[in-house]
Amino acid sequence: MMTSQTHDFTADAGARVRIEALAPVARFSLRVRAAGRPVLGRALGCDLPDRVGETARAGGRVALCLGPDEWLIQAGEDEADAIARAGADAYAEAPHALVEISDREVSFRVSGPAAADLLATNCPRDLDRLAVGGATRTVFDTAQVVLWREADDAFRLDVWRSFAPHVRALLEIGQAEIAAGL
Amino acid sequence: MSQFRIPGKGRVKHDEKVTFSFDGRRYEGLRGDTVASALLAHGIHLMGRSFKYHRPRGPVTADSAEPNALIGTSRGAGRFEPNTRATVQELREGLMCESQNRLGALSFDLGAVNDALHPLFPAGFYYKTFMWPRSFWDRLYEPVIRRAAGLGRAPSEVDPDRYASRYLHTDLLVVGGGPAGIAAALEAARAGVRVTLVDETPEMGGSLLSDPEVEIDGQAAWDWLAAALDELRARGVRLMTRTTAIGYYHQNMIGLCEKLTDHLDTLPENAPRERMWRVRATRVVLAQGALEKPLVFHGNDRPGVMLAGAAQSYLHRWGVKVGERAVIVTSHDSAWHAAFDLAEAGTKIVAIVDTRAALADELRAEARVRGIEVLAGHTVTGTRGRLRVASVTVNPVENGRVGDPRMLHCDCLLMSGGWTPSLHLFSHTKGSLQWDEASRTFLPGRMTEDCHIAGAGRGLWGYLDALSDGAEAGAAAARALGHAVEPTGFAVAHDRPGTGESHKELPTDRRSHRVRAFVDFQNDVTAKDLRLAVREGMRSIEHVKRYTTNGMATDQGKMSNINGLMIASDAVGKAPPEVGLTTFRPPYTPTSFGAFAGYKRGATFEVTRATPIDAFAEANGAVFEPVSLWRRAWYFPQGGEDMEAAVARECLATRGGVGIFDASTLGKIEVAGPDAVEFMNRMYTNPWTKLAPGRCRYGVLLGEDGYIRDDGVIGRLSDDLFHVTTTTGGAARVLNMMEDYLQTEWPDLDVWLTSTTEQWATVALNGPKAREVLDGLVEGVDISAEAMPHMSVAECRVAGFRARLFRLSFTGELGFEVNVPARHGLALWEALMEAGKPHGITPYGTETMHVLRAEKGFIIVGQDTDGTVTPDDAGLGWAIGKKKPDFVGKRSLARPDLVAGGRKQLVGLMTEDGAVKLEEGAQIVLDPDQPKPMKMVGHVTSSYRSATLGRSIAMALIEDGRAREGETVHVPMPDGVVRAKVTSTMFYDPDGERLKL
Amino acid sequence: MLLIHCPYCDQTLPEAEFAYAGEAHIARPEDPSQLSDEEWRDFLFIRSNLKGPHFERWRHVHGCARFFNAVRDTVSDRFLLTYRAGEPRPDLSTPEAAQ
Repeated sequence: MMTSQTHDFTADAGARVRIEALAPVARFSLRVRAAGRPVLGRALGCDLPDRVGETARAGGRVALCLGPDEWLIQAGEDEADAIARAGADAYAEAPHALVEISDREVSFRVSGPAAADLLATNCPRDLDRLAVGGATRTVFDTAQVVLWREADDAFRLDVWRSFAPHVRALLEIGQAEIAAGL
Repeated sequence: MSQFRIPGKGRVKHDEKVTFSFDGRRYEGLRGDTVASALLAHGIHLMGRSFKYHRPRGPVTADSAEPNALIGTSRGAGRFEPNTRATVQELREGLMCESQNRLGALSFDLGAVNDALHPLFPAGFYYKTFMWPRSFWDRLYEPVIRRAAGLGRAPSEVDPDRYASRYLHTDLLVVGGGPAGIAAALEAARAGVRVTLVDETPEMGGSLLSDPEVEIDGQAAWDWLAAALDELRARGVRLMTRTTAIGYYHQNMIGLCEKLTDHLDTLPENAPRERMWRVRATRVVLAQGALEKPLVFHGNDRPGVMLAGAAQSYLHRWGVKVGERAVIVTSHDSAWHAAFDLAEAGTKIVAIVDTRAALADELRAEARVRGIEVLAGHTVTGTRGRLRVASVTVNPVENGRVGDPRMLHCDCLLMSGGWTPSLHLFSHTKGSLQWDEASRTFLPGRMTEDCHIAGAGRGLWGYLDALSDGAEAGAAAARALGHAVEPTGFAVAHDRPGTGESHKELPTDRRSHRVRAFVDFQNDVTAKDLRLAVREGMRSIEHVKRYTTNGMATDQGKMSNINGLMIASDAVGKAPPEVGLTTFRPPYTPTSFGAFAGYKRGATFEVTRATPIDAFAEANGAVFEPVSLWRRAWYFPQGGEDMEAAVARECLATRGGVGIFDASTLGKIEVAGPDAVEFMNRMYTNPWTKLAPGRCRYGVLLGEDGYIRDDGVIGRLSDDLFHVTTTTGGAARVLNMMEDYLQTEWPDLDVWLTSTTEQWATVALNGPKAREVLDGLVEGVDISAEAMPHMSVAECRVAGFRARLFRLSFTGELGFEVNVPARHGLALWEALMEAGKPHGITPYGTETMHVLRAEKGFIIVGQDTDGTVTPDDAGLGWAIGKKKPDFVGKRSLARPDLVAGGRKQLVGLMTEDGAVKLEEGAQIVLDPDQPKPMKMVGHVTSSYRSATLGRSIAMALIEDGRAREGETVHVPMPDGVVRAKVTSTMFYDPDGERLKL
Repeated sequence: MLLIHCPYCDQTLPEAEFAYAGEAHIARPEDPSQLSDEEWRDFLFIRSNLKGPHFERWRHVHGCARFFNAVRDTVSDRFLLTYRAGEPRPDLSTPEAAQ
């Protein structure tokens, strides 16, 4: 028989997916040729993975390989000056660009059992193929984002500051839609 | 209980009543009904009027192919939808429906006069009748035709519903939840494939829902179905009902439109009405089944005439008899089963009229058992009945001769012209069709996508074949995905295989001009129209289609295309495959604009970028303007000021004291590395080698074609580090262009580019008091005129924040631009406002910025240039490093067409009457008295009222403009010709004295 | 929406992350000043506009940000292969390339 009037209302809608704005961190864009990669890895105290989408972590610092010669370096906010200095000190040995972009992006965390569904409202990637611990640059609607998979049901999005209200608005629309259970 | 409902029968809930209204009258239906099944249960067939002739029409199908029963539905303000198929719309409590395209009552439609006048409306009548006189078209013909012909009325209110979208990635998408689709999904799911199964109706099962007598693997059809669906769910298959695959796009991307709330009595809060799924499937199985074709005969559109398969569905799915006395007319075995099922349910089957002379013995025997008269080798030559069929005239056909008529009384006529595979989605992929002479229909041929087609969708008829073929398709998909699998077999009892033949219009004894045999019910196209089109010279099926509009209605020719082809190919005298089928295009069924728009409406229609200082502008009453994706403060009106007054005040305050401006949207690119200066030399026209760290230069960027692409002030922070600024709109484009050269032309250069547009908030201070405002806030650098001359840059602290401080000017006044990390932008702004208070600091917006720069003759790329302007055209020849061997665009500056005379050059324009302001974009002529069309020598690019100068100023691109300085040119406008003098673009302080503060 | 294989990420990804960048294997001349007007015109404006396999450039702009080359059939819109910028123009007549 037809069950046309039933659908899955969830008692606690907020529990299905949460959206949080995250506190600022120190962020740098690092560009260096392959030959200089080990030098910069040593200088920054964190290996630089060589496959796009892979991350390495050491002492609270994270290096994400975004492109063949591009890494996103992330650390606690108070480490920004130390990172900049370490880069400057290594410049003569391994020329590179280390540009602070801490303020360029803001971050959101999307978590909960429906987190992947919420991202699938506007992200065309197959999220099943984004491994926990990995990250990638992609798009959310028309906004470029760096999408991190922190856990099976937790993601982080780094969004250029001026695009953040748009991304947030879309996330909230999707959250309400998921809460509606349809 | 309504008269035509059979108690306990069907898949509706007999104990759950649902009330709705149709044309203002209340009716009761059952949960699970469609509007059509509920009205039919009340004996109502008349549901609408036809598009052109206003002929009374009733449902001819029980599914989404319905061309006739189109209604308007509503659930209150803004939630009105026209052209909804009554055969698809599920009942919900309080649903309001109305019939369409009628003038007056549905049962007495004044527009039906069109039907009496039908000889006036043959195919192509638009092109023939209303050619002359031209003026009659706008005033008379079109309004009258528009009122008389058409479908539903367009909604006039904003749609308050939400629409959603979602991406979905799946190994296998199965389209169609009938026996073939379910078998495919089962097979693949058992092999471990990630499967999604979709069906456009509220229930999986397809034709099984209308054939409960069939037994599969020893189970009654509906029991087998329930068990199969349970297994699919248990295996994690995503089952999606009310979900239509509307389009099949490249590389197995399928668009699905899922209807979420139209069937619900009440709307859950925030629930989207529909969701568009963009599915990427590694493999696809199309199991869409087949569409039943009508027969084409005089009066085949009367209410009560419907497809036999539809009557069978109404009986089994909704427990509704479509009439008490039925005549069957068919060319296919399937209608016989419908007749037998209806007879069991108590409908009197007056006769089965089959166009075929030779019939299967089993069918004859079954008919005999039920006492049904069989008329083999017969045709139908007409029907009667004003608003409902009351009788049908049948005639024997022998050796092509139509014999004597016999009238059969009935209240419904059930027809079947056989079945044609649903080829729409396959056709979207540009898959080729193959004519099958045996079944006289098109079957899917060569595939272009990773796709399998199963069941009736490739011409297989009967449940055993459909199930086995579905399983084989599921297994093939699983194998393609790397799973080893052998398809399971099925045992089917009481199967209903069958054959039939295809027809053009049925033979008739009526004189041809008196035959109204409809092919396309929705667009009111008759067989005669198609033949007329061929007679009038249309040979291609594409021309026939457009001339007659056959197959061009919202049903996409689901019922009409094959019949239309049979008739057209007969008229042309070619075999059907030589004539060919027109292309089916997405969407498969009508799809709401909302579903396509998804989240792109209202505030999320498009990204709106705001700067860190936007909150100040918002709080201080700024009027905003969009600049690329940004919203920027345009001007800051005070009191009751209009734009002109506000801009005049902002300009005077800046030139007289100090103005503050949010320049954060400027593009910023960090160019870093040992080869940074070499890279800059190659990209920009200017020379950079000798620019000392701490100094800035205005840079011009060309395309390789020699035209200006962008400009901006560039600071050298150290030997290896440049801070490049770009225009607001050009930021992404310029970075892309630079990356292109760096990655693909000069990969040897050790230099890297990083966008810092949003790392920095940028505040510009301009005016003679700018330094006084800044003085107390700057640490770490001396900003005196001597220590920090015009075009300097320094890293320091401003208002306590780490800063990059530029001394530059886009206004001609003493100017600074302070860059601080974006999160501090608003705090910096507020600190500067506070420090500027004693100096009367005035916030200004983009309009004042534009006026001030125009007074100095500074260009805006994209306003004073349009992609065809060289540096020399723009008066920027000085910015070209002539000694550099090469830079992007340099070679083009020697192109013959760029060095020839007659180029349009940027000049100033002063109207003779300073109170008159030219219009931007206005065309310029030398002689206003020349005959039209006049020779236009250029156009106005920028035009403002200058409060500083007390008059209007403008810039223009004019042929050989600089040589015309001092001449008068003319700007013809609707209310007269404006005279203006060609001048220099430097309207104010041409010697730059004010920068020397 | 197409799927495109990025030769740097070694992943097949949605078109929304990519941007088209014109015909491939049109190198900027070493010294443009040595070119005649006609040669320079051809470099600037003359493109093959093929029906069939077309050598073209794409950028994985919202991914690894690399420009790369692709062969796309302009009739079917199918990508035959993609390869890194700077690699030689592949010979489509070999069986591997034809895959």
